[in-house]
Amino acid sequence: MATAFKAFLNSPVGPKTTHFWGPVSNWGFILAGMADMNKPPEMISGRMTAVMCVYSGLFMRFSWVVVPRNIFLLATHASNESVQLYQLSRYARAQGYLQKKEPEAQQ
Amino acid sequence: MASSKLQAFWNHPAGPKTIHFWAPTFKWGISIANIADFAKPPEKISYPQQVAVACTGIVWSRYSMVITPKNWNLFSVNVAMAGTGLYQLSRKIRQDYFSEEKEAAASLEG
Repeated sequence: MATAFKAFLNSPVGPKTTHFWGPVSNWGFILAGMADMNKPPEMISGRMTAVMCVYSGLFMRFSWVVVPRNIFLLATHASNESVQLYQLSRYARAQGYLQKKEPEAQQ
Repeated sequence: MASSKLQAFWNHPAGPKTIHFWAPTFKWGISIANIADFAKPPEKISYPQQVAVACTGIVWSRYSMVITPKNWNLFSVNVAMAGTGLYQLSRKIRQDYFSEEKEAAASLEG
């Protein structure tokens, strides 16, 4: 247990390096998204949420191929992707984009 | 002359054929979306989201200057994020905390 923890502490992408703390600050997006999950969907910015979905998708790929490979960054962006996609679906539903029945009602 | 520089850029290991280019480039979208949202009424601004945008912008701006090599593209995109995030926060705080006083004063007088 102690050796695994030491390995983490001394890892090239561990808490003694910038490769760790940058992604830590990115968790702000996920926490903000989670806090906003229960707010009314009219408050959601469709623009910002859609941008976040593309942004996290790109950075998931980036974190995998960058040297050194940064799994923590990958996990961060995978989580943000999920939260932002959920918020985007709430926004789309509130705006009426996901209604397939009664097309005459949509003008 | 120009075409060889263009070729050097095109074929660069962090150039436009790679994710190392597009991921930081697309991060500009966050600031652009925020600028577009300057027109939104402050009631619709999310405190947690804009705090997150401002904080990540500030942290990453610092880190882009301490890595090797210094990454000016990453620095500038994060400075922009911090700037737009802080501006959105100031709009919402101004409306929530400073215009209330005016309304309260007006209702007391009226």
